[in-house]
Amino acid sequence: MERFGRRAARVGAAGLAAALAIAGCSGQALEGNDSSTEGGQVTLKVNFWGDMGLDQLKAKYEADHPNVKIVLNSGEYNAQHEDLQKKLVAGSGAPDISAVDEGFIVQFRSQADQFVNLNDKGASSFESKYLPWKWQASQSTDGKQIGLGTDVGGLAMCYRTDLFKAAGLPTERDKVSELWKTWDQFIETGKTYTAKTGKKFVDSATNLFNPVLSQQPVGFYDPQETLQMEGGPKAGFDVAMKAIDAGLSANLASFQPNWDQGFTKDQFAVLACPAWMLGHIQKTAPNQAGKWDIAAIPGGGGNWGGSWWTIPKQGKNVDEAYKFVEWLVQPEQQIEVFKKVGNLPSQPELYKNKEILDFKKEFFSNAPTGQIFATTAENLKPQYLGKKNGPTRVAVENVINRVQQGQLKSADAWAEAVKEAEKASKS
Amino acid sequence: MSLTDVRLTRSEEPKHAPPPRAKFWLYRFDTKTVPYLLIAPFFILFAIFGLFPIIFNGVVALRHWRLDDPTLTGWAGMENFTKLASDTDFWDALVNTFGIFILSTVPQLLIALMLANLLNRKLRGATFWRIGVLLPYVTPVAASTLVFAVFFSRDYGMANWLLSLVGFGEEQPLDWRATTWSSWIAIATMVNWKWIGYNALLYLSAMQAIPKDVYEAAAVDGAGPWRQLWRITVPMIQPVVLFTVILSTIGGLQLFNEPMLFDENPALANGGYDHQWRTIAQLIYKVGWRDLNLGYAAAMSWALFLIILIVAAINALATRRLGGGK
Repeated sequence: MERFGRRAARVGAAGLAAALAIAGCSGQALEGNDSSTEGGQVTLKVNFWGDMGLDQLKAKYEADHPNVKIVLNSGEYNAQHEDLQKKLVAGSGAPDISAVDEGFIVQFRSQADQFVNLNDKGASSFESKYLPWKWQASQSTDGKQIGLGTDVGGLAMCYRTDLFKAAGLPTERDKVSELWKTWDQFIETGKTYTAKTGKKFVDSATNLFNPVLSQQPVGFYDPQETLQMEGGPKAGFDVAMKAIDAGLSANLASFQPNWDQGFTKDQFAVLACPAWMLGHIQKTAPNQAGKWDIAAIPGGGGNWGGSWWTIPKQGKNVDEAYKFVEWLVQPEQQIEVFKKVGNLPSQPELYKNKEILDFKKEFFSNAPTGQIFATTAENLKPQYLGKKNGPTRVAVENVINRVQQGQLKSADAWAEAVKEAEKASKS
Repeated sequence: MSLTDVRLTRSEEPKHAPPPRAKFWLYRFDTKTVPYLLIAPFFILFAIFGLFPIIFNGVVALRHWRLDDPTLTGWAGMENFTKLASDTDFWDALVNTFGIFILSTVPQLLIALMLANLLNRKLRGATFWRIGVLLPYVTPVAASTLVFAVFFSRDYGMANWLLSLVGFGEEQPLDWRATTWSSWIAIATMVNWKWIGYNALLYLSAMQAIPKDVYEAAAVDGAGPWRQLWRITVPMIQPVVLFTVILSTIGGLQLFNEPMLFDENPALANGGYDHQWRTIAQLIYKVGWRDLNLGYAAAMSWALFLIILIVAAINALATRRLGGGK
């Protein structure tokens, strides 16, 4: 008995020593946390992707609020959302403020209790300023508001004037818009271009599928969460198949290194363009200034993307975080972001603002981006994006990509797409 | 005389002058407790990061746990496992995993053996070569895989450039990611590149322990280098071969980084648009963190664990036969 006691004591001592060592580590980890309050100094960590035009605004806000330090953390689009999801489950580690995109907002608003209800902080007074669908999209079924809208995508068609000229196509934006009033006309234009130059016309057939889909009254899911493949998805899929069969697609996966390379190597001449895409083009191909222009999208209207600022509840400085978010969505800041990176505000009042309407983007041959995108955003008929919208889109895009790779015949593709979409809807 | 008596007599034996109590305690502490203290960190860490996750994973596998639907929770019993049995995604991934596993492990160990055999000879700058083969192993797998992803890219990839030198694919460059066989070869190449040197060094160290006179005797008997390799070297380094076979079985069946980063958009965990190279580890990631279905992902993990156990056992038996059954 005494023997056993002694052994237990020894093991216990060893355990204690190790436990102390571990406790020491975790203590350090806590101190190293990004969001901390020391002596009234507040650090706010902001997660987003790409360039949301925050660099200058950060400096401005910090100058006005000496006790606030803002840490900007830009990451990959999918990774940032997945990271947020993991941190919400873990209960700690989430940023003080996180951008959430349209494609993920349904997933997060169904976990509204993980976020600060912004209505409690006084956000409800902004409701009338927002496009109604934008306000509703970030609201949970029981009326909690998890995010304040920052931008909407809208949709236009960016094209390379120099490549169009070389192919003998018109280069003026009005004439180009006339050229492709419908998607069939767009495909015909592409055929002309490809026949003349021997080059591909679009970056990827998936980037035709998505805009066409977004123009349909019903997307993948109806508001009852039933998969509706024969409506909108079929229309988008048909355009994608026509483009592939006509040999128009360069088959480049969006936002991946090969795609970025495709810009600089002139691998495609047009690109479906939501407002936020302008910033990406400028960044990826800085030497193509003046070689791009923006025309209307075939079929008219549609939306691709757009984000909200959310505040995870687990943060220590939710009040300071809210103050910053509230400041960010004020007209003055929204206009500044628009001018810098092109993101279109989601408050319709600003579409009549002179600064936005008169703004011309030099990089895009002085296109009046404010007028172009404001018109598309106002005419927008928002679609219901179901809970499984993201995985379903990936599943159908996978099928389109298999056709692009020549691994699947376009005639057999639709049946395959329906099968995969049904699988994804049950995943 | 009973044992108790022995102990009694011993304790009655005259003793030397007893050491001071404090010193005695310290001595006892040093010999009896310190060893436990020194190995404790490993076991504590193993318990926290090894044992606990495995057990917890087993519990999760028997439950419903969906991050995107907090209301669906509670015991599932064997439901996750029965779903697994009829899930074509899982069986397709299993086939892919084994395909890539065979394409990577077999050439990897064979080439490592040849390489070790070469390095075992008298070479100029032997240390240089020996360290050199280890370089791929010390390269972080994410870094090397990203380089390989570019190497195997369709439009401006170096692999296609090399193929074009021999006149292949000039009209239509090979899309490595499109077909099953080309994607498997590309991924197996990454795995082989990384692990050949490591295994070669293990074989080399074992080879150096083989007495030279065995080879001399064999040479006198007329055995050529090839025969010496298979009849002397391989049987004599058999324990190390066994070790490498088991290790590469585990590594091969858990393959994750390479197929993951080979994808055009790694964040989707697609493993090819037709999932033609999606491995089980990748599928587990996708089910857990993209579908947010943790219960089902845990069940897959356990299934993978069992599969690895079975395959490692089969391989161990086969390898033992290889050396002993001559």
